[in-house]
Amino acid sequence: MDKVKDGDFGIITTTLENAMEWGRSNSLWPLTFGLACCAIEMMAMQGANYDVARFGSEIFRNSPRQSDLMIVAGTVTKKMAPRVKRLYDEMPFPKYVIAMGVCVIQGGPYVKGYSVVLGVDKVIPVDVYVPGCPPTPEALIFGITTLQKRIRGESDR
Amino acid sequence: MADEGQQQVDKAGRQIFKVPKEKLLEFMRARKDEGFNHLSLITGVDRKDHIEVVYHLHSVEQDRYIVVKTTTNNCTVPSVTSLWRSANWDEREQWDLMGIKFEGHPNLKRMFLPESWVGHPLRKDYDLGNVQYINMDEDGEDYSTFDPGDGW
Ligand code: SF4
Repeated sequence: MDKVKDGDFGIITTTLENAMEWGRSNSLWPLTFGLACCAIEMMAMQGANYDVARFGSEIFRNSPRQSDLMIVAGTVTKKMAPRVKRLYDEMPFPKYVIAMGVCVIQGGPYVKGYSVVLGVDKVIPVDVYVPGCPPTPEALIFGITTLQKRIRGESDR
Repeated sequence: MADEGQQQVDKAGRQIFKVPKEKLLEFMRARKDEGFNHLSLITGVDRKDHIEVVYHLHSVEQDRYIVVKTTTNNCTVPSVTSLWRSANWDEREQWDLMGIKFEGHPNLKRMFLPESWVGHPLRKDYDLGNVQYINMDEDGEDYSTFDPGDGW
């Protein structure tokens, strides 16, 4: 083996768009935003054990103006819905939404109640749905990688 | 204490006093003087033909816990805010969700739902089919509406 470390690693050709999508998908910054019990699993996903940092998504931002991913983790009550919408409106483009848990998908255990929004997609558009009550951190990581594939324009499967 | 109100014991061994609502304030004042300095909760039970209001009293020094119940046919009971300040929010919550009016309460407004919400949702006769929505106006104030409209 007479390989020399000379800094010459050849030429990679790609389109600017592909490079942008690759970068964008691997640096998703979620909004620090939890509404109910699902948020605990979201925090577990971010912690050392599951370590979503491996997928470039660990920097939870406290301001919607710095984030491009909203993980809606927990029951969206009717009173919260206008606030969720306002936070979503404050996020800069491009922005993505993951609906985490059955509450957020269609009302879940509270589907017959008076106070819960039957699906956050009635208020804001959703890209990926992660079912479960609550979904495991693995499931949420799967949701994030699915979203990354979509951003890169790859097939989900 | 046993001479006032009808007395029972619940499964946890706590004494339950059933007091007519006319005598409630007087009874409660006597309990407070006895040392029940912590009103731990107020809740309401919809029995369809009448409303039951339940007070849980706790004495921190004596480590005693009692339950006081009263009933009302016209949804009004006297407020105990003059005895325990913590009753203020508890009573507002009961007014919001059960529609119990507390006479003499200093600020009986809804606790959780917007003022324009129609009905009291924990009542048996509340109409769940008539869905209400909440929107936020320019000043960040909530208002309820029957029409999903903007933002929904
Ligand atoms: S889906 Fe289950 S765990 Fe998640 S917020 Fe709803 S009730 Fe809680």
